[in-house]
Amino acid sequence: MTLSGRDAYRDELTTLAAEDTALVCLEADLGGKNHPFQTAYPERFFNLGIAEGAMVDMAAGLAAGGYKPFVSTFAPFAALRAAESLKLALGYLNAGITVVAPYAGVSGAWFGTTHHCLEDFAVLRSVPGVTIAAPYGEAEMRAVVRSAVRDGRPHYIRTGRNAAYESLIPDGAELPLVTWEFEAADPEDVCLVSVGEEGTRLALEARSATGASHAHLVYVDHEHLAGAAAELAARHTRFVVVEEHRGQGGVAEALALLLPRCEVTGVNAGHDWPAEGGDHHEVMARLGFDLPAVLSAVALLRTGAPGPVPAGSGVR
Amino acid sequence: MTAVLDGPTGTEALAATLAERALQARRLVVDMAASERGCHLGGSLSVLDILIAALHRAAADDGTEVVLSKGHAAAGLYAALHVSGMLPENPAPLYGRAGQPYTGHPGPKVPGVRFPTGSLGHGVPYAAGWALARRLGGQRGLGIAVAGDGELQEGLVWETCQVAAAQELGNFVLVVDRNGGQNDGLVADISPLPHLTERFAAFGFEVAEVDGHDPAALGELFATDRSAARSPLAVVAHTVKGKGVPAVEGKAGSHYVTIDATRAAKWKRAIR
Repeated sequence: MTLSGRDAYRDELTTLAAEDTALVCLEADLGGKNHPFQTAYPERFFNLGIAEGAMVDMAAGLAAGGYKPFVSTFAPFAALRAAESLKLALGYLNAGITVVAPYAGVSGAWFGTTHHCLEDFAVLRSVPGVTIAAPYGEAEMRAVVRSAVRDGRPHYIRTGRNAAYESLIPDGAELPLVTWEFEAADPEDVCLVSVGEEGTRLALEARSATGASHAHLVYVDHEHLAGAAAELAARHTRFVVVEEHRGQGGVAEALALLLPRCEVTGVNAGHDWPAEGGDHHEVMARLGFDLPAVLSAVALLRTGAPGPVPAGSGVR
Repeated sequence: MTAVLDGPTGTEALAATLAERALQARRLVVDMAASERGCHLGGSLSVLDILIAALHRAAADDGTEVVLSKGHAAAGLYAALHVSGMLPENPAPLYGRAGQPYTGHPGPKVPGVRFPTGSLGHGVPYAAGWALARRLGGQRGLGIAVAGDGELQEGLVWETCQVAAAQELGNFVLVVDRNGGQNDGLVADISPLPHLTERFAAFGFEVAEVDGHDPAALGELFATDRSAARSPLAVVAHTVKGKGVPAVEGKAGSHYVTIDATRAAKWKRAIR
């Protein structure tokens, strides 16, 4: 059985800490009880309490002192509340800190607006030098964590709440720049580009329904996207990017700039505020981020006319 | 607790050394006020004696890191680093100039500066994180944050105080340059800090009050071996904005000053 992104993070970091004594794990009261790192290495585990800004800044102090801090708190609190600390520590100082941010997108579902984060790509992508990853499933999360430990550069890793997904790569594999999950014979046809957990799930469903190609991205910072864009453009010219984020500052917007000779459209969470209850998928649908919206976007690029779209769904 | 440093023998000799460095540094700060850019003069002069004493501890190379959290007093930091021997070149002629690292708020391009500060509050957790790293590695050395009293209005400071006490960071020292001023006026008029020493004590800190312009007291304070301490230390250092330059001493209007060379020469002659 595959693990959720945040469980995979905890487990992989704990495993790596056996060999790498510079790894320290910091939480801001949202790491949960029985954290495996705390159990295995209590002297290197610090629950600093509800103090996200202090946690990131103290991680800068720890990094300056020779350690590799991994800090974790919910995405809205990491990317938004502690944004200035991220700018200074991960950006300006280029400190070897990894921020792991669960509850990204609207995975907090009925917990409400305060616990959603549809802005983290926009915030972090604007900070130079930060590697940004949105892994899909256990194997990808493990690969991203291993890579972050190895290269020691600042990372922001977004994940969801408790949902588990089967990664597109095998356990233990390293991540390619672009994972081609399926490639249609016709290069003139639309290519789905998936980002993140629910973006990838929707793209996989849309690929099955439409036969379109599917390219999956894990790293979405500018440097990685520039390389990925070249690989995408070598194979296709029309793209539908599926991401659980706002359109502004998201991956579709970035790829549109990187691929000026291509048609790039996006299916995303739009402009509305997720302020109502429901499970994760119900909140997504309320924002117009669902399978009908993806199918409509593919149809629009293929034929110039959208397919049938239920009320509340949209292509942006 | 016992003193850990060698250096000048005896309190009086150390105090004389620190006092002489402070005189030199005050002249440099006035030079920076006379630059094209001007500088945060009042707060740079109030914090100088604290910085020079703290840097003397750091110069002992025991792993002590001094973080000027009130980064707007950058001119004071550059001057203190220079007179303490940690910054070989004279920063005053280069201050604020294109291509030079001596910006109005300090960053790690300046020798002796490890963290960027000036957005208030951040230097306090940087120093606390440094202290945690030293303790985690079983190493000596303090994390010393020097903050302004106006800066204590930032929530990040108090987040860190809670964490430092909870983590029993005895090697973390937070020094408050209590000069009573902030950008728009007096701390007492804008958002006062009543019962400050009691506040720190309530957070679980050891608390000391000191004359922030007394080199002997400051030197002794920073020489203390805190390797066995389980509580962080807060030092409320009572200071005077613009200290040492009679024309601006004690005046809230000295917060940011730009002067010409003639006035700078006059002020430097009057430095005490």
